[in-house]
Amino acid sequence: MTKKFLITLTMLVGLSTLVAACGTADPETITVVETVIVEVQGDTVEVEVPVGGELITIVARCRAKPPTEDWRCNNLLFGVAEVNADLEAAGDSRRVVLKTIQDNTGFGDIMQEFALAYEDGQAPDIVLTGHEFIGTEATAGRIVSIESMIADYPEFDNMIDGLWASVTFKGERWGIPQDTEARPIYWDMNLLASVPGWDAARVDGLAAEIEAGNFTLSDMLDAAEAAVGAGVVDAGMGFWMRPSNGTDFTGVYYAFGGETIDAETGTLVYDTVAGLKFYQFFERGLTGDGAHSFLTGDWGGSYHPNVSGGNVLFWAGGSWQWAEWADQWTGDLGGEAYQFENWGYALYPAGEAGGSASTLSHPLAYLVSAQSEHPDLALALIAKATTDEANTRHAINSTHLAILTTQASYEPYASAEFLASVTYMLDFSRFLPNNPNWGTYQQTTFDALSGVQAGELTAQEAVDFVVETLENQLGDEIIILG
Amino acid sequence: MSVSNRRERGGVPSLSLREPFEQPSSIGAWLHSRRAAWAFMSPAVLLITLFFFIPVIVLLVLSLSDLKSANFGTFQWWLPTNWSLDNYSKIIGDRFISKFLGNTLFYVLTTLAIFNFGSALLIALITTHINRRAGFFFRLLWLLPRLTPSVVYILMWRRIAARAPHGILNQFLTLAGLGGGDNLLQTMPWVFVIIVNGLIGASFGLVIFTSAIEAIPRDYLTASKVDGASTLQTIRHVIVPMIRWPILFVLTFQTLSLLTSFEQILLLTGGGPGLFRTEVWALRAYHLALSTESGNTQWGYGAAWAVILVIIGVAAATIYMRVFKFDELVEEPKIDLI
Repeated sequence: MTKKFLITLTMLVGLSTLVAACGTADPETITVVETVIVEVQGDTVEVEVPVGGELITIVARCRAKPPTEDWRCNNLLFGVAEVNADLEAAGDSRRVVLKTIQDNTGFGDIMQEFALAYEDGQAPDIVLTGHEFIGTEATAGRIVSIESMIADYPEFDNMIDGLWASVTFKGERWGIPQDTEARPIYWDMNLLASVPGWDAARVDGLAAEIEAGNFTLSDMLDAAEAAVGAGVVDAGMGFWMRPSNGTDFTGVYYAFGGETIDAETGTLVYDTVAGLKFYQFFERGLTGDGAHSFLTGDWGGSYHPNVSGGNVLFWAGGSWQWAEWADQWTGDLGGEAYQFENWGYALYPAGEAGGSASTLSHPLAYLVSAQSEHPDLALALIAKATTDEANTRHAINSTHLAILTTQASYEPYASAEFLASVTYMLDFSRFLPNNPNWGTYQQTTFDALSGVQAGELTAQEAVDFVVETLENQLGDEIIILG
Repeated sequence: MSVSNRRERGGVPSLSLREPFEQPSSIGAWLHSRRAAWAFMSPAVLLITLFFFIPVIVLLVLSLSDLKSANFGTFQWWLPTNWSLDNYSKIIGDRFISKFLGNTLFYVLTTLAIFNFGSALLIALITTHINRRAGFFFRLLWLLPRLTPSVVYILMWRRIAARAPHGILNQFLTLAGLGGGDNLLQTMPWVFVIIVNGLIGASFGLVIFTSAIEAIPRDYLTASKVDGASTLQTIRHVIVPMIRWPILFVLTFQTLSLLTSFEQILLLTGGGPGLFRTEVWALRAYHLALSTESGNTQWGYGAAWAVILVIIGVAAATIYMRVFKFDELVEEPKIDLI
């Protein structure tokens, strides 16, 4: 019985090989020797591998906060069937399956994991992370430049041009933007209308005043202090920012005219004049009683409940947090409807009169590992996730902004009220620089801010500390201006 | 009452004196004569080599290099041509070096004095002088912080210290009209850092001291009572001298342990509040070498900070051994009581 079975099997395999070797077979009639079932969000996709074909597993590692950001990797899973269909149509005998690893690990930790996996020869083919890691990863040779491959995928022609700057390093593109966002300043309209000198009409016009550059960060602190003085909010509850290190603070530095990178040389730049204004802003926030010493709390125990609970007048947040607040913090009050009714939002005001309103965008990008044996397939999967339909799924679920030129008019995106109302902010976006020393730069400027917030450093001492530390640690890889 | 085994101090007369070792005629013979000693020592030697000497050598080499995540995989950090003292120059040029050193000494000495040694000895003495079951129960209670997973333990303390109205302590303080309801980790971070670490650390010394005290022959304690010694006098003149070995061990081990520990501080305060308020040396090394918000961890630079910590640790251990006359403690008895 066993012998007969083996003979039959051998004949079948031999016949299949013969058919495949002829090379004239219609792809649709190729004998299937393997079927793999890929599960996507409860659905399944069958992957049929033709005789002589190769089943390739692409591994994608995505940083995503569940449940709102799960489409970061899941959109790639949806692309599997399309990529295989394209391969089949092109007569390519390769077939793809995708393994995803997705969680909310910190950006720094994910990239350490990537570096160590790379050293061990086990790096994922695709890693989704903040664009600012490109400087480090490209310098170390762990990711590939995709400049020469982008043209092979028409989906990427639809990318908003300005976003390519976020993934460009040394004149080449090293990643595909996956999403972007704005960092608005939010305010509680009811509280603001109660502040002396404010009324409903002025509150309604605030976003336009900010965009025109007529309402500055200093004016915002004036309002915050007036609110505390009038008892509208408690002391320190006039203006809040995030409770930990993060990119938001660079947005404030930009608002004061600061620069972070020299466009010609790619060297990091620290502007002491803008830096001083930046620290003076936080110094005043602390001493003037209008702003809480916000680096003292945490997200769940302090920041979210207070900003979404009607206790804070102005706060800096992210567009993606709009969905989080609606889902987790204001759901009982009506969620998004409550937020529309009670909150206003706009760009970061200019640092001072004569400046411009702005926002800081932090696109996440799909990067392709230099260890990937099939970068073309990795990019093919990414291309399938870079469509109006796929990206809008993510945009709506996580309130991230459009990355494609046609997305703003794509009906599901256009009908998402919040997204439609903040998409204009992309025109005012600045990015973090792509430079391998950015981690040291950001940590140092944040350490100095911690000192100012704790009353341990004056603004000038903070600037001196930043200059001294950056020069000590980066040597000639930092340009000090001013 | 005191006991000495040193003949030159004129202690108890020897009942039988050992013959001095005969000098071996060759190195081979010398090794042969000590093969039993080497056999007993080899596991310890192997472990120390694997887990101390080799890591220290790797650390030292790393500290001389500029290895970082931006050149990891391409930079040949092990080649002497890529070594320099630049990382050490950077450390000397860091204006906060005295702050990190001061924080570390304050943290180690205070936690050691109050908890890891002080409380451990005190609780061991108390629980060995009360009802045996009650003593066991209280010692078990002191083990709970060590048994609790770090993240759970720290989350608990963060809630205890949180600002009003969420913070547990602040609820009582507010009722009593004390404090402004601020997060206590911001207003008194060191108090919490020391208590949180001390409550874990005390249990180690507690177990060692308890077993050492329990191992003292009852005859000595009975004899001291017969001689009319009070409890305090018995502790001072009998118990403490007889547990000098465990005391040296606990002090040395816990000093080194505290020098290199940062897990609880990292989770509790992250080295803050403000500018490095509770940032100890080991945490500084961790932050530079292994923690990053935006990429490019500096492994070589962080390793240089860690090497200095190793030097401080070895120096501290050497001082302890001198102070406690380690040579005498391990000296081979000159007499054998038959």
